[in-house]
Amino acid sequence: MADDKFDAIVVGAGLAGSACAYTLAKAGKNVLLVERGNTAGSKNVSGGRLYTYALELLEPDLYKRAPLQRKIVREQVMLLNERGATTIDYFNPDFGENIPQSYSVIRAVLDEWFAAEVEAQGGMVASGILVDGLIEENGKIVGILTGGEEMRADVVVAADGVNSLLGQKAGLFPDVKSHAVGVGVKETIELPDNLINARFGVTAEEGAARVAIGCTEGISGGAFLYTNKGSISLGIVFNPEQAAKQQRHIQDIFQDFKMHPAIQALIEGGTSVEYGAHLVPEIGYQGIPKQLHREGFLVVGDAAQFGINTGLIIRGMDLAIVSGLAAARAIIASPSTAEMGALYMKQLEELLLVANQRAYQNFHGIFEISRIFGGYPKLANDAMQFMFTVDGKTPTPMVKGLLRAVKKHATFGQMIADGWKAYRSL
Amino acid sequence: MPKCLVCYKWTLDEQDIKIKPEDLSLDSSRAKGKISDFDRNAVEEAALIVEKEGGAVEVLSYGTAAVKLSLKDVLSRGAEKAHWIADPSAENADAAVTANVLAAAIRKLGPYDLILCGEGSSDLFNQQTAPRLAALLGLPCLSFVQKLTVEGSTVTATRKLEDCQETATVSGPVVISVLSEINKPRIPTLKQVLGAAKKPNEEIKIADLGLKPEDLQPKALRQSVKGFVMQRRNVVYKESSAAENVAKLTASLASEGLC
Ligand SMILES: Cc1cc2nc3c(=O)[nH]c(=O)nc-3n(C[C@H](O)[C@H](O)[C@H](O)COP(=O)(O)OP(=O)(O)OC[C@H]3O[C@@H](n4cnc5c(N)ncnc54)[C@H](O)[C@@H]3O)c2cc1C
Repeated sequence: MADDKFDAIVVGAGLAGSACAYTLAKAGKNVLLVERGNTAGSKNVSGGRLYTYALELLEPDLYKRAPLQRKIVREQVMLLNERGATTIDYFNPDFGENIPQSYSVIRAVLDEWFAAEVEAQGGMVASGILVDGLIEENGKIVGILTGGEEMRADVVVAADGVNSLLGQKAGLFPDVKSHAVGVGVKETIELPDNLINARFGVTAEEGAARVAIGCTEGISGGAFLYTNKGSISLGIVFNPEQAAKQQRHIQDIFQDFKMHPAIQALIEGGTSVEYGAHLVPEIGYQGIPKQLHREGFLVVGDAAQFGINTGLIIRGMDLAIVSGLAAARAIIASPSTAEMGALYMKQLEELLLVANQRAYQNFHGIFEISRIFGGYPKLANDAMQFMFTVDGKTPTPMVKGLLRAVKKHATFGQMIADGWKAYRSL
Repeated sequence: MPKCLVCYKWTLDEQDIKIKPEDLSLDSSRAKGKISDFDRNAVEEAALIVEKEGGAVEVLSYGTAAVKLSLKDVLSRGAEKAHWIADPSAENADAAVTANVLAAAIRKLGPYDLILCGEGSSDLFNQQTAPRLAALLGLPCLSFVQKLTVEGSTVTATRKLEDCQETATVSGPVVISVLSEINKPRIPTLKQVLGAAKKPNEEIKIADLGLKPEDLQPKALRQSVKGFVMQRRNVVYKESSAAENVAKLTASLASEGLC
């Protein structure tokens, strides 16, 4: 190898970057993976549920080597009002039997493992290095800048996350707009496994994933909770613009969520070990920049704004891995840098990433229905309270009681309008 | 052009160590490794001296198998070659054992003009390695060094003492231990990190050092390690006048022998 030239430089050792560098190194490419954190994963925040099909695409059985936490067998949806909670619980111990459908993960652990795998394949990993610019020559990107030093490569892959500096430096997209991103906070709370198993009704290797709505004071957003080994990850993702309008701080909303009696009971006795805040690409397909490449430059993962958030499902990590793989395949298959961009777009189609994004393309319309985040969860709880109240007084007729609960939170007109909007979005 | 050797220790990052409230035992299962803080200053100082005066920097570490994890980091900080001794005995080594092993390795590798250490390690902070090494190697020792200049074969060190500074000069080989204020360790650049991967490192087997079994037998045996938790008395003085509150406070402190 020429001392200061690589086949590819991948910036960012998140899942997108490591997936890309791993595939390139395995194919014998001379690849450099650069990460600003002192170790890979040290700065990364995810709720922590990874759909394993993505690792399987990268390499069959890779997920078996990965340091995953618990296999998710319980899917739970919570509708919260002030102090009550209505929970739907779906249990399936065989969910995705051959390739388990999803696992909870801890990014600090997973990312560090992944970067080590890149090294084991012969890739070069440099951590503690902040990339601050790109080298451009004759309209092509030919390398990176860091602290005044240059490093050259045939292609630079921007895997630098949601607020991609490199994408901006390459002139591919302007600053992230606030309506396009959600804000997420996440806390990891250590709790003994026997308590986790008992509180969530799972065995030692199994886990539960829970989403909750009604905890953001009507602001578009929701909460999640995942069980790990020896800890619970919980957090909230929501729209920063609406929160700003209501002058609410994310910490306060999150604190209230944790103090909710139904949540408090789950985390009681635990110790908080980690807290982080991060942006999340929110509007899905429509948020993806039109141009994800230039000659000598490809954008992957969160940097490309790949993400699906349905309220029930948050996906970003799997799409990061798939797009990293797509970029690597394009680089391996291209005879020269001129074809790489087009091949990358083709790989995104072939690996069905585009189809996945497109399927949910109008979905964020749902998030504009504010009653989903306040009125309707309250309605569900009021209806439950009515149905399960026995006090010896003359019972209100069922229909009348239920209607009363409904009318408190929405008119029929509003419900029809919301229903229509939801129908159009799905 | 001094030939320098820096001895460093690969310790656990204390920030990652947790104290278990039940029994005050330490949980280091999540702890990452790092080059002991003051040792990082020692490596930096050697690198600065060599950048100015010429010469060469090598590094040496004695630790458990984990010591291998330190090589990339230490070599990206200016050292040209790393020597390492990975042996389970390091787990319970006291300052005497550590110095025995390092001195034996230095006899094999040396001679060096300057042997630098950190003043104390981030974990045990015995502050004994440098003086013991000097004694074993028959060299002068300058400890608590906050400023160092090397001109030809003359080494001038400013030592920080309790309430004064002392300046000392030595000519010829010397063992030096440095304080953290001596410099600000560099953050390695990409080229330095990449360069580190190509620099040589060499394992020294402890069996090849000609040490006697008693040299590896710690005399200070660690019986227990427990976290330290501050216990508060939670006494609030609520007298009506400040003077009374102060009187009560001082009386209470006096009864505990604190003033
Ligand atoms: C609260 C929250 C919960 C989430 N929950 C889920 C979930 O349950 N499931 C799911 O699939 N997704 C989830 N996501 C989304 C998921 O975290 C992201 O989609 C995923 O991390 C994207 O991976 P990435 O590799 O593209 O980017 P990142 O993971 O952000 O990695 C980018 C990397 O680049 C490095 N970097 C950035 N700039 C530079 C630079 N200039 N120089 C060098 N290095 C740089 C960073 O340090 C980082 O390591 C969640 C996100 C949040 C915020």
